[in-house]
Amino acid sequence: PAGPGGVAVPRAGLKKLVLPPDYSGITFPEKPKLKFMDKVPAVPKVRREPRRLRDIRGPSREATDFIQGQYGILALGGGYLHWGHFEMIRLTIGRHMDPKSMFAVWRVPAPSKPVTRKSLGHRMGGGKGPIDHYVTPVRSGRLVVEVGGHCLFGEVQPFLAQVAQKLPFPAVPVSRESLQEMRREEEEKRLNNQNPWTFERVVTSNMLGMRKYLSPYDLRLQGRYWGKFFLKHRV
Amino acid sequence: GAGVGRAGCRVPRPTRLPPGWLPALQLARRGSKAVTRHWKAMHFQRQKLLAVTEYLPPRPAVPPRCLPAPRDRPEEEDGYVRLLRRQVEEAFRSSRMVAVCQYNSMPDEDVVTMRHYLRKHNIEVKFVLNEVVRPVLAQSKYRNLLPLFVCRNILLVSPETRAREMLRVLKGIPQVNLLGACIDDTILSRQGVENFSRLPSLEASQGQTVGALALLPSQTSSLLQRGPSLLTALLDEHIRRLRDTGTPGEPPQEQGTG
Repeated sequence: PAGPGGVAVPRAGLKKLVLPPDYSGITFPEKPKLKFMDKVPAVPKVRREPRRLRDIRGPSREATDFIQGQYGILALGGGYLHWGHFEMIRLTIGRHMDPKSMFAVWRVPAPSKPVTRKSLGHRMGGGKGPIDHYVTPVRSGRLVVEVGGHCLFGEVQPFLAQVAQKLPFPAVPVSRESLQEMRREEEEKRLNNQNPWTFERVVTSNMLGMRKYLSPYDLRLQGRYWGKFFLKHRV
Repeated sequence: GAGVGRAGCRVPRPTRLPPGWLPALQLARRGSKAVTRHWKAMHFQRQKLLAVTEYLPPRPAVPPRCLPAPRDRPEEEDGYVRLLRRQVEEAFRSSRMVAVCQYNSMPDEDVVTMRHYLRKHNIEVKFVLNEVVRPVLAQSKYRNLLPLFVCRNILLVSPETRAREMLRVLKGIPQVNLLGACIDDTILSRQGVENFSRLPSLEASQGQTVGALALLPSQTSSLLQRGPSLLTALLDEHIRRLRDTGTPGEPPQEQGTG
């Protein structure tokens, strides 16, 4: 507050005492730390599978909402997580969290999709290569890990952001409230869009023959996804 | 619905067009797959479509930064603030004298000494915050004390009205300046408090009033006796004069009516 002559007059007001956070409805699982994920599933796959990149494309249908924890990492793009990523997540979170007051839960299954690699330096041809490693496909909008317990978002956010930066797809630490806020903002944007021309409208009514240049998947994806990427700024 | 064809006959048409269809010709070998690690280059027509269908935020007629900032979400009442307000109300209700003084920072030991001296005269020192006191005063009958609660201030409350001792203590402390007081529901300024202190105490003034009122009744008996006592005095004087002039034999016949 400025006093006469522009000099700031210090003013002491009443201290606003904040109540401590309420951790009443939180149940801890038996093992608070993250489970160790195998590199190879218990029954390794014999038959080599086609690449099937459509498991990366588009929005996720499973693990989009919180189950046990209050904070988590949300994937904002598609990608494959392999054993190295799992170890990185497990060790980083295990290093930074306190098992007595916090817990963490996996929201992605162990790697089960086999990925083949041909040996280096060979020409094309000679059949499909042998299975090299296993991965988990992750679509955008899916939660990767969930963290909860007697902790605030500010305590958890630094190491979750560290983990999210190292993932192969763009990811962001979220809490229950921030996820709700994100969805609400998205909905608000969709409703108060001043542009009369929307991708949805053009595609469903095939204006100007646009569907010649678009994929049939764009009917479902509505221009918000391109390959494995999620275009956050769209609509 | 059903369409009308040539010569006015009804031609059955499907009620709903099928939602989607795969293109008849699919270019199988052109470029990379749909999902790639790199950002796949878009067809120019698609780029144009995305550019046309971008999000346009709403633009109000008056930009929000030209309008006054919205005062939304009034702060919820803190329990602590409510307690302090109740205490202030209690202090005002239970005391006869409430003096408001400006307080400049003093060393702690001087504060303790001042409190000690004032406690001896049964005056309590209260440190109050303006943001707590102002709403309390605004709604009570002490509305006119509001202009006094501007800077750092203290309240001296007491169930008795001993202004003289209070002024004597405060005179010795330069950091505390009396601004005004409310004594027996009367708002007094600094000058008024000084005048009030110079008044005699309640017992003395009561005694004075009683004495003044009792003056006339006390004179009633002497007033009533004034006529006969004058007559008695005159007769006594007359007797003495007669005796003095040496006329014996006249015994005093009049008996003084005492």
